Amino acid sequence: MKRWLKRIGIILLIILVAIQFYQPDRNTETGLSASMKIESLYNVPTSVKNILQNSCYDCHSNNTNYPWYANLQPIRYFLDGHIREAKQELNFDEWGSYSGRMQVSKLDRITKQVENGEMPLASYTLINRDATLSDTEKKELINWINAIKLKDE
Amino acid sequence: MKKIIFSFVVLGFILVSCNQEKKETTPTSVEPTVTTEPAPEVVTTSPLVTDVPVSSATTENTTGENADKVATAEKFSIQQIVNNYLSVKNALAKDNASGAAKASKTLYASFKATDANALVGKNKKTFVEIAEVAKEHAEHIGDNGNNIDHQREHFVMLSNDMNDLIKTFGSTAKLYQDFCPMYDNGKGAYWISESKEIKNPYYGASMSTCGSVKKTY
Repeated sequence: MKRWLKRIGIILLIILVAIQFYQPDRNTETGLSASMKIESLYNVPTSVKNILQNSCYDCHSNNTNYPWYANLQPIRYFLDGHIREAKQELNFDEWGSYSGRMQVSKLDRITKQVENGEMPLASYTLINRDATLSDTEKKELINWINAIKLKDE
Repeated sequence: MKKIIFSFVVLGFILVSCNQEKKETTPTSVEPTVTTEPAPEVVTTSPLVTDVPVSSATTENTTGENADKVATAEKFSIQQIVNNYLSVKNALAKDNASGAAKASKTLYASFKATDANALVGKNKKTFVEIAEVAKEHAEHIGDNGNNIDHQREHFVMLSNDMNDLIKTFGSTAKLYQDFCPMYDNGKGAYWISESKEIKNPYYGASMSTCGSVKKTY
């Protein structure tokens, strides 16, 4: 029994080391589409910018601030999965590419998700404590969203 | 040595369970074409419109407006989309989240199957724009068969999109626009129904008759 455990352990260890060599491209900006960013298209107060930066952009932009443990597989694999799906749903750096209707829809969704506490993800804020949104920050973000919604509609 | 092995096994379990959580709550694939039932790849006529004689409008759209209207009437129809939307609505009215999810996947597929190339100019742009957004909502409803609240949130916006579609492209069947004033913290929400009777999809059995007919299409 003990010997089998030992063998499985060694195999797992080998697999773990092997997957470290798979390091796909990181989600980092190439600096080409600055005009599409939400911050280029609207007046974003500094406080809201900070909220977006600290709580949203790691997944919902073209620039992720990778933590040290992102160098490790399979952590990196799960992170990339989150980022890919997040960007598909909402990418603040491609905001200009959305139609007016789409923008209104997304603003509505952001409001609801923030109000519900669904976003930012609990698994994200668990590790990134400063990403948690206080009630004040939530209100601030939602107020700003309501202001720009009027512009879009 | 044993401790190292044990901690790797634990790590493995943790990572596997993290992966499971991810799969349950979010769409599993990046490309929309993979997530739903296979839809016909290229459809030049909408599924509902059959045996329509090919008129000259289909081959030459030389003038904008007139050809636009003829093309719309002859080949393009949103009826399939509307019918599928109504299925989602009826499922939500019965508090049937998994039914709503299933119907929504069909709705998503019918959006994809409706060929906007039968339209030109402004109509085409309108349809493509609405379809783009409505598809996202249909996708979310389809992916949340265990979370009716989330489905209903998306249903609000989907209903608004459907309203805009029907306003532009019309409906062969009689439809009613209903409004529930209470939903969404009193902001209220619309839905579209095939019957005059109020069967609220936002509250289901808990408040089935809440709402009123606002207009007829």
